[in-house]
Amino acid sequence: MAHMTNPLATPDQLFQRRSLGALPMELQDMIFFSTQCLTQAAGLLLQLPQSVTAQANVLLARYWLVENMMAHEFSVRFSSSGLSLSPNDEPKKLNGVVLQDVSAATLYLVAKLSSHPVSPRDVAYIYTYLLSSCSAFFHDPSSPPPPPPPPPFGPETTTTTTTTSTPSPSEKNTITPYLSPAAYQSFHARLLHLEGLILAALGFDTHVALPHPLAITYLQALDFFSFHKDGGGSKEAGKKALAARTVAYLNTALLSPQVLYLTHQPPALAVAAVYSAARDVGAKMPECEWWEVFDVEREELGFLVVGMRSVEGWGRKMRGDMKEVMGGRERGMLMRKDVEGELKRRGLMIVGDEVQNGSKMMVDAEEEAAKRLDEKMAEMESG
Amino acid sequence: MASKSKSRWADDEADAALEAQRKKEKEEKKRLKAEKARKLEAERKAREAAVAAAASTSQQAGDDPDRGPPTKRRRISPERDEPPQTSGATTTTDSSNLLRFEGGKFGRSRSVENYDKLNDIEEGAYGWVSRAKETATGKVVALKRLKMDPKDRSGVPVTGLREIQILKDCDHRNVVKLLEVVVGDDTNKVENIFLVLEFLEHDLKSILEDMPSPFLASEVKTLLHQLTSGLAYLHDHFILHRDLKTSNLLLNNRGRLKIADFGMARYVSDPPPANLTPLVVTLWYRAPELLLGETRYGPAIDMWSAGCVFGEMLTREPLLQGRNEVDQLTKIFELCGTPSDETWPNFRRLPNARRLKLPPRPTPSSVRAKFPLLTTAGASLLGSLLSLDPSRRPTAHEVLEHEYFQQDPRPKAEAMFPTFPSKAGQERRRRRETPEAPARGAQVSSGMDFGAVDFGGIFARREREERGGGFSLRMV
Repeated sequence: MAHMTNPLATPDQLFQRRSLGALPMELQDMIFFSTQCLTQAAGLLLQLPQSVTAQANVLLARYWLVENMMAHEFSVRFSSSGLSLSPNDEPKKLNGVVLQDVSAATLYLVAKLSSHPVSPRDVAYIYTYLLSSCSAFFHDPSSPPPPPPPPPFGPETTTTTTTTSTPSPSEKNTITPYLSPAAYQSFHARLLHLEGLILAALGFDTHVALPHPLAITYLQALDFFSFHKDGGGSKEAGKKALAARTVAYLNTALLSPQVLYLTHQPPALAVAAVYSAARDVGAKMPECEWWEVFDVEREELGFLVVGMRSVEGWGRKMRGDMKEVMGGRERGMLMRKDVEGELKRRGLMIVGDEVQNGSKMMVDAEEEAAKRLDEKMAEMESG
Repeated sequence: MASKSKSRWADDEADAALEAQRKKEKEEKKRLKAEKARKLEAERKAREAAVAAAASTSQQAGDDPDRGPPTKRRRISPERDEPPQTSGATTTTDSSNLLRFEGGKFGRSRSVENYDKLNDIEEGAYGWVSRAKETATGKVVALKRLKMDPKDRSGVPVTGLREIQILKDCDHRNVVKLLEVVVGDDTNKVENIFLVLEFLEHDLKSILEDMPSPFLASEVKTLLHQLTSGLAYLHDHFILHRDLKTSNLLLNNRGRLKIADFGMARYVSDPPPANLTPLVVTLWYRAPELLLGETRYGPAIDMWSAGCVFGEMLTREPLLQGRNEVDQLTKIFELCGTPSDETWPNFRRLPNARRLKLPPRPTPSSVRAKFPLLTTAGASLLGSLLSLDPSRRPTAHEVLEHEYFQQDPRPKAEAMFPTFPSKAGQERRRRRETPEAPARGAQVSSGMDFGAVDFGGIFARREREERGGGFSLRMV
């Protein structure tokens, strides 16, 4: 049964996340959303199959139920000074990479256990690129400058990176994301360190059962692939659309702030995705309570369908909110300093969190300087 | 010598008196029972009355919290002061019978400080194992520490993670149980990772080395049957063990064998993926296709190892003790014959087989000759497990169905297994003062009158019992 079940979050874990978190809920959601998106983007660029990336998403969500969101980020900051990027871009990325190490570490861990392992170096390059200003990640399509493709990363460029970046030399003066050996060393150290922390927090249980294969099986079992009355195109196209829509719902649900993958077992998720997709595509569903065949209750199905369908709109709104928090920056990843800035704006101090965690967290002078520099950068950018 | 006196079983006065007493006791018991039932009935009535009274009062007070609609969905906020609801009450109301999927939960690893180390058991290539006691419960467990190589740049070893994941997924009586994974006390750095496994007193290797006489045929059958049913479970779940050997088979004092050490194990697809490493399994137990460099192998490699273990249990010596890969292959061919296109089609396409120089005429297998004490069924099973061609080896399920297990002597019940002093538990062999076996050729003592005792009954029905190894005829 292991291939169909997941360990689920306990009520206490869910409750704690909602109530005791040092961060306001919407900020937590924002961090969650942007980090999950970052993981997906990195998975794509590393040419990992979605089964691997989705597992990383689920593990990351689990990790954040066990570990406080901000707590671990403090704990991995130990060697951030070793990370030096191209000089004029330094502070921003320095902060960003450190903030998003968790994403990199889970992805690395899951890939290591899968049949598609990736090297730490590839991970380092991909994340450096994604967090640099030349990446297309979280780039608003309406804003004018089209994202230049990632330039090659130097002699050690692997096939993974070159194939994903269609090498069309851009004439525009963009900052080349460059990872110095020292920066790589420190990234590597943090990656392995964080990997251990994640494993310990999850009790070394890395098992994730995904609903995707189940959903396809259910579609077949329901004969959706043969008796499908589609609206416009050919029958074949209709089938494809249905399957694609189902998988899209499942993938979108990974980003849901309701952590649906941690509260419901894969069969329920699969049924809900099939139901929603069939509704969208206009496929005819059986008249009877067919979900009971797959051991899903009507009530649970209803809850999941609402949950899944709401993620898209919620995500759009999240993007808008993020822009606000990021001080009008059009694109790029939500940075740790953004969260801190927003907290300051709201008059909330992160100190409370530090006291709570009992860690002797001092905002060191270096960090302060980096932040100030960063703010100046933001001003220059917006001005 | 027939006795002429009255039969021992004839009735007499003493019997009659005994019978009378028994009857009296029975009646007394009956009376007590009736009285008890009466009392219970009275109690039940009183309780019912009380419940009725309570119900009427609660109905006045409004709806009863205990009788509210049962919660169907998982609660997502923790219960505060309410008493925990009984699970029975919530499930019975479902009209349709839906399967509930239980996946357990996740949470932080505990600290190794919850255990007290008792003694070291062994140090393997892959980690240290020691015996420990859980402080809170006093339960004795085996702690296996994952070796972390600080020079390894890929972090927590993937073999260790695989072992943890596979053991977590397994639940079978012949597979060792992983109780939890604990980490060192320093929560900021995860360097020490310990697998908490159930403790078994022995491993098969040290028993075979130390035991004074070999296992009986019935005992070998039990052990092989347990090993194979564990293997059948693993293979059904797409797990290859890839390091079966006697030192990885644990045995407890109740005769239960468990497969341990999944450091080489991994999940595989069926058909197997094409890029597996052939550098698995301890050399002496390594299947010929692995030695020839096969990268697309399946459960058959575990069956080969099981065959080697089978042979080792019979002789108390590892079956094929090669010094290196080439020597190992030589030993295999000596025992199982050299391969030909009939016995192993397409073996020439294997990477290391192309340069292989074989005698022009293939030699036949000598398994039967090497195990003269084995029954025909046993020899055929061993021979098939040691087939050079992996596709000719039986699957674990086929082995379980083999007639070897149906024939006499039947497998010995686990509970009847002999016990051994546990090396891991630091027990010593106790020497008992027992009479020496008679020396060969000694004179039969003549003072005793064997005619005075009746031996007629002691071997009655003997032919129906399970027979041990006993003495057997040498065939060669």
